[in-house]
Amino acid sequence: MAATERDPAVADAAPARDWCGSVVLAALSLPGVLGAPLPAAADSAPEHATLQFKTEHYQDSQPGFQRIRVEEPAIYGLLPLGEHLSLSGSAVYDVVSGASPRSYSSTSSASRVHEKRFSGDAELTWYADRSSYGVSAARSQEHDYISNSVSGDAVFATDDNNTAFNIGLSASRDTINPTNDIVDDEHRTTYAGIVGVTRAVSVNDLVQIQAGYSTSHGYLSDPYKLFDNRPRKRNSGTGSLRWNHHLGDYGATLRGSYRVFHDTYGIWSHTAELQWVQPVGLHWVLTPGLRYYTQNAARFYVDPPADGAPFPQLPDGAFSSLDHRLSAFGAFAVSQKVEWHINAHWSTDFRGEFYQARSSFRFVGQGSPGLATFQYYQLQFGISYRF
Amino acid sequence: MNRLAAGLIAITACAVSSGCAMQAPKPWQKGVLAKPEMTMAGDMLELKFNDHTWTSKEASFGGFGVGGGGCGCN
Amino acid sequence: MPAADDDGVTTMRFGAMACEAELTVAGRAPDRRLLDAAAAEVRRIEAAYSRYRADSVVSRINAAAGSGEPITVDEETAGLLDFAARLHAQSDGLFDITSGILRRAWDFRSGRLPEAPVLAALCARIGWHKVDWQPATRRIALTEPGMELDFGGFGKEYAADRAAAVLQAGGIASGYVNLGGDLRVIGPPADGRGWALGIQHPRDDRRTVAGIELKGGALATSGDYERYLDLDGRRYCHILDPRSGWPVQHWQSVSVIAPVCLAAGALSTIAMLKGPAAPAFLDAQRVPWLAVDTAGLPVRNGI
Repeated sequence: MAATERDPAVADAAPARDWCGSVVLAALSLPGVLGAPLPAAADSAPEHATLQFKTEHYQDSQPGFQRIRVEEPAIYGLLPLGEHLSLSGSAVYDVVSGASPRSYSSTSSASRVHEKRFSGDAELTWYADRSSYGVSAARSQEHDYISNSVSGDAVFATDDNNTAFNIGLSASRDTINPTNDIVDDEHRTTYAGIVGVTRAVSVNDLVQIQAGYSTSHGYLSDPYKLFDNRPRKRNSGTGSLRWNHHLGDYGATLRGSYRVFHDTYGIWSHTAELQWVQPVGLHWVLTPGLRYYTQNAARFYVDPPADGAPFPQLPDGAFSSLDHRLSAFGAFAVSQKVEWHINAHWSTDFRGEFYQARSSFRFVGQGSPGLATFQYYQLQFGISYRF
Repeated sequence: MNRLAAGLIAITACAVSSGCAMQAPKPWQKGVLAKPEMTMAGDMLELKFNDHTWTSKEASFGGFGVGGGGCGCN
Repeated sequence: MPAADDDGVTTMRFGAMACEAELTVAGRAPDRRLLDAAAAEVRRIEAAYSRYRADSVVSRINAAAGSGEPITVDEETAGLLDFAARLHAQSDGLFDITSGILRRAWDFRSGRLPEAPVLAALCARIGWHKVDWQPATRRIALTEPGMELDFGGFGKEYAADRAAAVLQAGGIASGYVNLGGDLRVIGPPADGRGWALGIQHPRDDRRTVAGIELKGGALATSGDYERYLDLDGRRYCHILDPRSGWPVQHWQSVSVIAPVCLAAGALSTIAMLKGPAAPAFLDAQRVPWLAVDTAGLPVRNGI
């Protein structure tokens, strides 16, 4: 019985890292051997389902004021439905406690804040050969603020898959019912659109540029701030560039992004971000990050009075805001993320970020030298299961 | 500002039209580009968290996508 | 030439790496240029790592042996050298890409065995530990004159994987690449079953010892029937133990299934070198395997 024709046995040799021997692992670590399941520019249907839990702890501080704390647990799921369809969704619950930062708030006492917010979204994506189409709906709910939105996006790749064009549109309708009854059942409507192109410019570089436009009308003021009377219409535009570059010598990837923002409030802002993604061995990835943001002040922003000085005299109906978020400032953030890919199914990650905003960090605009330094740190912990 | 924007457009136009020295990859050279960290997507919840934090502390929003809706925080 | 049959299966055959290469793709007729690109990838790897081409990376490294001048290699070669280093360590030194020089002593067409002193002299020059490989700077130097690197131990398997990756990146979801019996499956045919693949009988090329259905991954076989000489009832094959310089004799062939062909090929070769320790080694590597012993009897786990 030296030679026998046996019935074919079915063998499945799909790679699963935790079940692999050392030689298989060594072979899999060579680039281009396993093949590229993802084309460079266009998305393709996910092959695995993912479930993720992530929670965030946020705490900020400003000299002389109480802190605000946020606990934010969230879940995310991605489910492939056959070859061409996927369903994804997330749910976030946040609890805010403490006092809101009110460097220039006009009320005399810091009111306690204890807010809960629930938000959820779901997206259905259809993947064709060289294109994909998604529709999604989202809702965010607080006791005084409800937002509903829908959006759609599409990606089209060229035949060589080296270039992809994307377009996205969204509409949202918000309802505002502040507890102080300063307004009642107010609305805010926003339409936004974005177009972009992503291109693999070399074997190691992926570049994306996008242009976005957004228009909002309705109640855009902050009902809890005195002297806050903003125009009922706000249009804004963005230009963004993202560049991912792989450094073969280090096995690392440098991810850079830049965004310019301009709106009809007269604000210009610039955001630059850099991340260094460094895999360490087969199971660990370290990602340090740096972010810089700067903006000038809104046209109607009013610097707060110095201690003891009277509030500024404003003509009736004039636009004004003392919201420090509309002042001229700059901010630096440093972050570090650690990912542990335990096996083919489980991974966990931890991310910490420290952020500090000062008027003196600003690169554009002027004024507001008296704005107190604002800073926060946030810690995120996540665990995800892929199957 | 306009000069900066013009410079940005020039750089990216060059990159996107691959008029620079860089050579667009052939199908068999996409191993690196398929790495998760090389794609434009990222950790969905992390992006959501960070975007939420930054849009609630800064006047700017958007730029990298649409959708997700509004929030009383901004 | 590509040829499509009625079932929507297109096959292209060409000669490369001293064997017959076959690209088989199922489903919608693929773009001819894509098949050409996959074939070109095989030829590119052949050219880059062939000992017989003076301009290949391997030839440049070998030409500088003993000169003290390190050669700086590209990233792809560096990856393969790292792989070779890991195979050497994980095979306890049995898989050694410096052992190719034994070919000078073994002429399988002559019908004669090499002389012991010649083998001993060659064995003295073998050893991955005599290779000064600096992964950080991608510099390599063979420290002794006459040393040689030979990527033949996994070049074909690597090419099969890369060709499959080309087809896959070009949108092919179903098909396989076969380089002289080393197979890499891209994806299953539309009927959902795997590709029916046979394992050749080591002594009769018209028969098979086993059949398997493979939906993905790779199948590679090492055997004593590729190049050999038979003398006095014993078979002397081309798989040589780097320690003694003599051919392995424990198995007629070993076949391994792994996620990629590079791994399947390396594991089957190491298993041939491991002799009686092969089953334990393959089990520890968690791969399905089938070996045919010297009596022609199959031993298997998972196939």
